[in-house]
Amino acid sequence: MPTRTVIPFGPQHPVLPEPIQLKLTLRDETVLEAVPQIGYVHRGVEKAGERMDFNQSLFLVERICGICSFIHALCYCQAIEAIMGLEPPPRARYLRVVWSELHRLQSHHLWLGLYADSFGYESLFMQFWRNRETLMDIFEKTAGNRVIISTCSIGGVRRDIGPELQSEVLRALDEVEKGLNHTVPVMLNDYTVKKRTVGVGVLTKEQALSLGAAGPTLRGSGVAQDARMDGFAAYAELGIEPVVEEAGDCYARAKVRMRECYQSIELVRKAIRQMPEGEIAVRPRGRPNGRAIMRVEQPRGELMYFIAANGSPKLERLRVRTPTFANVPPLVAMLPGCQFADVPVITLSIDPCISCTER
Amino acid sequence: MISNVFRNLFSRPATRPFPASAREPAPDARGSVDFNIESCVFCGACALRCPTEAIEVNRQERTLEFDLFRCVGCACCAEACKHGCVQMRAAYSGPTFQKPEMRFQGVPIVKAEDAER
Repeated sequence: MPTRTVIPFGPQHPVLPEPIQLKLTLRDETVLEAVPQIGYVHRGVEKAGERMDFNQSLFLVERICGICSFIHALCYCQAIEAIMGLEPPPRARYLRVVWSELHRLQSHHLWLGLYADSFGYESLFMQFWRNRETLMDIFEKTAGNRVIISTCSIGGVRRDIGPELQSEVLRALDEVEKGLNHTVPVMLNDYTVKKRTVGVGVLTKEQALSLGAAGPTLRGSGVAQDARMDGFAAYAELGIEPVVEEAGDCYARAKVRMRECYQSIELVRKAIRQMPEGEIAVRPRGRPNGRAIMRVEQPRGELMYFIAANGSPKLERLRVRTPTFANVPPLVAMLPGCQFADVPVITLSIDPCISCTER
Repeated sequence: MISNVFRNLFSRPATRPFPASAREPAPDARGSVDFNIESCVFCGACALRCPTEAIEVNRQERTLEFDLFRCVGCACCAEACKHGCVQMRAAYSGPTFQKPEMRFQGVPIVKAEDAER
């Protein structure tokens, strides 16, 4: 009689970037059911955000996640600006796009490396991460730090990217594009990679919509939704087309992210070409009083902030809804029926950022 | 992938032979905080703006205490200081056996009538 085994996948697992536990019920090698358990990196960020001045909370929300940190700061600043009625100057909006897209590039590079590692392709993992180093150097030159770049502020940005730095950024992007041209075909065309990812972890369009998937998990299943289409920062002027694939398997989700890398490179080039002259920030006066909801597109999907302020320097409520939190139900729906060895590949294909999920 | 392998075999390694060659940080990098206590007036603006409460300023005793563990290198203190006493250094504080206890004592102000006595 086939036996059922319950195996805990995580929280410590070499392939997971952050701790999440999936209790997998297996029959021989096939997964029947997965029960997620989170809470290993809960830091109480939302409560901590109520204890500090709203200017200081910016530095707190940046540190919710290291890979998408600028975009958390961007969402927070835009929400506070919406409450206070501030309009950041055009140059600041373009600079925010430049840093957001560079952040998206480095996040996708990190993910591509970890994804290759999940099916054992360590050399490809290192190739992607070496390419990522060029981006980290650019962050250090333009923003002062490699990971948590701290350049978004309420009312604009803290630093400017002058003409010499702009040409350095463009040179670095050429290098990154060359590196992508060498490594993306391996991910897309290699026989072993395709054997491990095509047809694995299928999420149909109906499932993706009904379970509330976000980001490349949603776009890989054929739904053309991207929060950048709303036109925040300078995206309305730059124009954005969501990158969509129809198959809904791990291969499709990986292809969406690789095509988004190229899209981000083009967006940064366009933003630098069209960047207007002018101020980089307006000075905020007074304290926020009101409520706002703001949505932006993180590398993993749609990020939503709800901020409630009541005129005091401390915020009344800071609520963060991150895309990986929305992608955990689709993950749990993708796992039944797959082989045990495919579990790391499927888990990584939603790009789990558990630090974001648990805040 | 074969072309990548050949390219890697016949090109320089991506890693630096540290400690033989050290990495130079970018000129505007936010590595560590430098306090110039001689020009400090102990106004406390840096302590007010610090998001992690790493700086503690005592105006009466003219002391400034800086907790190196709490600092995240955000440069808010450097922006807040109007007298230029707080600067960001590009080089990050290197590895040591013991973190320095950063407690600065400024020169106490002696009032004119006390000086006469």
